[in-house]
Amino acid sequence: MKDALKSPFFWGFTLLMLLALSVIVYYAPVERTMGLVQKVFYFHVASAWVGLVAHTVVFAASILYLWKRSGGSDRLARASAEIGTVFISCTLLTGPLWAYPIWNTWWTWDPRLTTTLVLWFMYAAYIALHGGGASEARKRLAAVYGIICFINVPLVFFSTRWWRSIHPVVISSEGIALTPKMRVAMFVSVGVFSVLYFYLLRLRMKSLELQERVRHLKAQLLA
Amino acid sequence: MLKFGRRILLIYRKDLQDELRSTDHLLSTLVFGTMLVFVFSFALELADVGTEQIFPAVLWVSIFFMSVLALQRSFAKEREYGALDALLLASGERSVLFYAKFLFSLTVLLLLELVVVPLLWIFLDVGVGSASLWFFLAAVLAGSWGLAAVGTLLNGITVQLPGARLLFPILAFPLLIPLLMGAILCTQGALSGQVQAVLGWFYLLLVFDLLFTVLPLLLFDYILEG
Repeated sequence: MKDALKSPFFWGFTLLMLLALSVIVYYAPVERTMGLVQKVFYFHVASAWVGLVAHTVVFAASILYLWKRSGGSDRLARASAEIGTVFISCTLLTGPLWAYPIWNTWWTWDPRLTTTLVLWFMYAAYIALHGGGASEARKRLAAVYGIICFINVPLVFFSTRWWRSIHPVVISSEGIALTPKMRVAMFVSVGVFSVLYFYLLRLRMKSLELQERVRHLKAQLLA
Repeated sequence: MLKFGRRILLIYRKDLQDELRSTDHLLSTLVFGTMLVFVFSFALELADVGTEQIFPAVLWVSIFFMSVLALQRSFAKEREYGALDALLLASGERSVLFYAKFLFSLTVLLLLELVVVPLLWIFLDVGVGSASLWFFLAAVLAGSWGLAAVGTLLNGITVQLPGARLLFPILAFPLLIPLLMGAILCTQGALSGQVQAVLGWFYLLLVFDLLFTVLPLLLFDYILEG
């Protein structure tokens, strides 16, 4: 933590986050019918976006690991899965906050909701399987599972969509259904959350690398 | 080297013979399955729930739970006796081993369902009036196919990690959500006799089955390495 306070990344990022918060709070207008609760949207969409990016990175890094067997790609997959799971949790927590006053229910089995929940379960399972990458076998098997999960996501999404859907579609092929100021706030929020993702990813990969070095040194000492 | 199909069949026959000779695991799984049926039926009776509507859901949740025990057998014996390396040498491609174990798992699952499904049908007192029996059997077969395929794939993963038995359902259930949906909706359609309305879901089941039958060709080499 002391090191983090000294790093220019940390302070730069704190400024960015404050900027995003003030854009969301002061710049973006209050929605006419939904009122203040609509502002949760900027956090909800941004964390869902980061969750999806993170899980795509897990997929790509897993393929890379099976191909090249480099420790870096394994750490990338693991770190990204962890961060993605945290952001997906944020999506799952902010959603009901908005849904309860608007839909009059905390939860519904809509395709986006169901897929997000299944995604959360799959990556929780991925992390349990990876288990800190204690052995080469765990890294390899987790990589295989990471690939299977990614392939399964569209299957889950389309089957639930086929079944029913009530989730608002804000961004579609016809454009973005938001006022210009709201659009700006959304893009700022998504942008800052993406920066947060890369910042956390860098930190986590570093700490995983250090963990591995400690494990290696311990083994050397005991040998 | 023997032909691809012949090697699969040989390993399949070995496993099945082995399983049928020492039936203790098969029998305990069967007892577990029938107990699930009993507990579910009794609980629903106590809660006074309309059983006909809930039958498809109870059926597939029971099969899911039963498969946690039934599908973790495919590589367990080789692991116990340290014969996995020899089997890998003997089978040539890794995928041969996958398809043999998959067929074995599917057979075991169907054998168990042969007892459990009719039992649940009787316990929940579901009418057969307008039901389409053929479509019902097709739905059970397609659902079990996908379960066995995913189960064998993941069992190849969990068998290599010490104490990962608990991990199996955690890994499997999220992947099986599309299958669960297809299987339940098809069963519902079969019971009400409205097959046309759920035909799309049957195709979804087939796509799922196909995906997890072909995917191991690419991935199983990486699972059973070294």
